[in-house]
Amino acid sequence: MAELERTLLRRLRDRDERAFRELIDQHRDRVYNITYRMLGNRAEAEDVAQEVFIAVFKTIDTFREESKFSTWLYRVTVNHCKNRIKYLARRHERDRDPLDETSHETNGAVAAPRGHVAPDRALEGAQLEGLLQDAIAQLEDDQRIVVVLRDVEDLSIEEICEITGLPDGTVKSRLHRARLVLRKRLQRHV
Amino acid sequence: MTDDAPPSPPPLRLAEPGGDAARPQDEELPEDVIARVSDLLDGALPAAERAEVERLIASDATWRRAHAELTETRNFLSGLQKAHAPVSFADGVTETIHQRSAGRLFAKRTLGDRVPLGALLVIALAALVVIGYVLWSSPTGSLKVDRPRSPQGSQGSAAVLP
Repeated sequence: MAELERTLLRRLRDRDERAFRELIDQHRDRVYNITYRMLGNRAEAEDVAQEVFIAVFKTIDTFREESKFSTWLYRVTVNHCKNRIKYLARRHERDRDPLDETSHETNGAVAAPRGHVAPDRALEGAQLEGLLQDAIAQLEDDQRIVVVLRDVEDLSIEEICEITGLPDGTVKSRLHRARLVLRKRLQRHV
Repeated sequence: MTDDAPPSPPPLRLAEPGGDAARPQDEELPEDVIARVSDLLDGALPAAERAEVERLIASDATWRRAHAELTETRNFLSGLQKAHAPVSFADGVTETIHQRSAGRLFAKRTLGDRVPLGALLVIALAALVVIGYVLWSSPTGSLKVDRPRSPQGSQGSAAVLP
């Protein structure tokens, strides 16, 4: 673990508010991206991402530095996402925000594409983005977790095993199945 | 294969003979082919097995199709735009913490952390000096003061007595 990270952790354990803001600045986009891809709804994603950071700050004393801090943070993120998915399923509110499909460039929450993009290509991109998000949303929760961590966030299989607490074979198996399902769904449209 | 069971590597085999034309694009790809190609894309195959899968991809249309489709799927996924947290995100989180904990969570420190220990010692010493002076200057040696007796009160008592 880098010395800078150790220092930040020490300050977090001392309940230093500025250290907490530094932590948020370093990790907020990645945590938010995971929660958004897992939940498919911006408001829910922001709420869960907030809860993740609050939980991290409250329980920072339980982080034993046996893994990378980011691994621990993503584990907390995944657990919060799972809990929220269960909660939403209970409330029958798993409908994705319909604006999310096409509003990536208008609401400022998602980075605009780099450089000039022709309108028809932009529409294609937005449609593909929507198709993909739909396809991800329809995956089983366990498959969605591994595919988001591996193919969207580009984490290694080893790191995903640490985050999810699953054996290597199970992660790979879920990944294969998820890709199989996604391939079939995308094949119909692309 | 159950979902939680680690997949046992099936023997590598060529798909049925025939060119791409013999396989319509919507034909199901064998799951074991998907699994091996998926492992290859993840860099999770041992060197020998990797070479074998690469050979199959080069020589067999089914393997080639699986490789092309999975690569495309992965490229789509990795090409998804990164969602960014709103600009006010950090403010929102810290505000929520302040609200929920009434400011205690960030200030969860002992008195010694908030007030310098030296200042506490000086205050304690000053208090001891004041108490010591009061005790020393007291005629009784304590904070209790003897009240003088009223002379009228004594005379009145004597008059009543026989």
